[in-house]
Amino acid sequence: MKNKLFEKYFVFSPYFWLILFFFIPLAIIFKISISVSEWGMPPYQDIFLFDNGLKINTTFENYVYIFSDYYYIGSFVNSLILALISTFFCLLIGFPLAFYIATSNIRLRNILLVLVVIPFWSSFLLRVYAWKIILQNNGILNVILLNLGITSEPLQLLYNQYAVIMGIVYTYLPLMILPLYGYLNKFDLNLIEASKDLGLNRFKTFFKVILPLSVPGIVAGSLLVFIPVVGEFIIPEMLGGSDRLYYGKILWEEFFVNRNWPGASALAFSGIIILVLPIVIFQILYSRWSQKNEI
Amino acid sequence: MDNNFLVIENISKSFEDNKVLENINLNISKSEFFGLLGSSGSGKTTLLRILGGFEKPDTGRVILDGTDITNLEPFDRPLNYMFQSYALFPHLNVFNNLAFGIKENFTQKEIEINVRNIAELLSIEHLLKRRIKQLSGGEQQRVALGRCLIKKPKLLLLDEPLAALDKKLRSKTQLELTTLQKKLKITFVFVTHDQEEAMSLSDRMAIMKNGLILECSSPEEIYENPKSLYTANFIGIANIIEIYKKDENFYSDDLGINFKLNKELKNTKTNILLRPEKIKIQSINTSKASSFNSFSGEILEKSYLGSFTRYEIKINNTIISVIDQNFNSNSNYNFPKEEKVICSWESESIKILED
Repeated sequence: MKNKLFEKYFVFSPYFWLILFFFIPLAIIFKISISVSEWGMPPYQDIFLFDNGLKINTTFENYVYIFSDYYYIGSFVNSLILALISTFFCLLIGFPLAFYIATSNIRLRNILLVLVVIPFWSSFLLRVYAWKIILQNNGILNVILLNLGITSEPLQLLYNQYAVIMGIVYTYLPLMILPLYGYLNKFDLNLIEASKDLGLNRFKTFFKVILPLSVPGIVAGSLLVFIPVVGEFIIPEMLGGSDRLYYGKILWEEFFVNRNWPGASALAFSGIIILVLPIVIFQILYSRWSQKNEI
Repeated sequence: MDNNFLVIENISKSFEDNKVLENINLNISKSEFFGLLGSSGSGKTTLLRILGGFEKPDTGRVILDGTDITNLEPFDRPLNYMFQSYALFPHLNVFNNLAFGIKENFTQKEIEINVRNIAELLSIEHLLKRRIKQLSGGEQQRVALGRCLIKKPKLLLLDEPLAALDKKLRSKTQLELTTLQKKLKITFVFVTHDQEEAMSLSDRMAIMKNGLILECSSPEEIYENPKSLYTANFIGIANIIEIYKKDENFYSDDLGINFKLNKELKNTKTNILLRPEKIKIQSINTSKASSFNSFSGEILEKSYLGSFTRYEIKINNTIISVIDQNFNSNSNYNFPKEEKVICSWESESIKILED
């Protein structure tokens, strides 16, 4: 009897976790997002007022405001585009690397895997800051370029969206490589040889055999990169310029500069819905597809 | 017959410091079913992979039908390779697996016809819409075979073609494979570690050990007249006895008996091979041991295997294996354990192993 109870708890423990650390905080954010803001601490009114009986004090003004102002929608679109581009480059660099690691001998493989993980051992902030030092006007890269005579005056490498994309690809690359590696590791190399034996050259073998069979790994790695990049705040803040506003930055400003908690919460909540809903739908469709195809 | 359809010339291959193949030379004829037999580490699979183009030899050439294919990529070779694991594509169904190699150069209609034909040949028409995971081992083997044969290769390489099948299915597939090969007249070269498989499938076979070919001949020749001690032991059951010249005859210290050979010996001392079924076994009551090619011993072990009985007979601390065909249906025909018996053989049955 005791064991059964334990088993039950054990099976449901992920759900407890999910409820405790995802659904309850989400509910709190939602609650704040529909509250009326005011000057005070906390900077919003309660949604239940007891004034001659129970009165519900909510407003959807924040949502209306967000979706009617291009300032917010535009920043979200910018973030989505940034995430798409970064994911694409992570995949472009990460896939060959993961494939190379997965197919190399065990000694080299372990060394390469450690090299992939090593950046995690130092602070994320420091690593992004290091890029600032490399890319700034009197930074290492510009000094080298000047000394080699490739350029006559320092290039503006920092504070633009290219620096942001580069910083994100650099930071998130391991998150792409590791799930891809985990999947490609199980790849039966005989399948590649079989494809070549049946007359397909390397290029065709890649598109007919390697790529279709790597889809689950590609999906896992891409989601792992795409989702956090949409909300990324630090990298655009440190490496980016003022030419483009991103979702994370707006959110931060709304919370800490404007102290508009309901507005910020509405922004966060809409972001989650806009981002999570398509992904959930995609996952359902995808799992159906992969079940049908037995990958 | 064209003996030079597939010519393997001075092939050597090392992996790092490990010599896997040493100066391999083989000539294989058109439409031949050729077996490479060896234990693991003998280099047989490496040789097959060199033929398939998956490994490059350090030295030597491979010539197929007059064309040097040594430096061709697998996708440019007019041959196909059937993998031990079958390596079927899990993301494609049976039809698309079969059609995989011909999709490029054929129209949809031609593909359809070709796939139907090959499926009919291998009796897998009913499986075309199935996914690979829904197939049994035997069905997967057929699909793998069909995927190669649909390309009408000049040469088909098979890596342990029957190893993944269970025993009953294996003997059935063995027969089908030989029938198919004779029908299609495609040259088959296969690798196996199973001597029974090698003997039943091959027209000719090569025995490999430590990267060398020890012997290459028909299964009958290799079984009856092996040239080396290793092949004698490797193929079938072998009684190996050391004899030396003594007066007119030859003598074995282990058995304490005389041997009479029908052939002159180069050396004064040699190993001989006596296959167990060449030894005649008789009751001590009805016969007597003669002065040569015969001894009396005691039955130590006996295993009744239906069509024949295998005896282990002890003489002077040496054990000789004897196989006796069970001609009679009378169960008393078999000799009981610990019975004294007379064993004898003809001079022609003694094979001299000179190496």
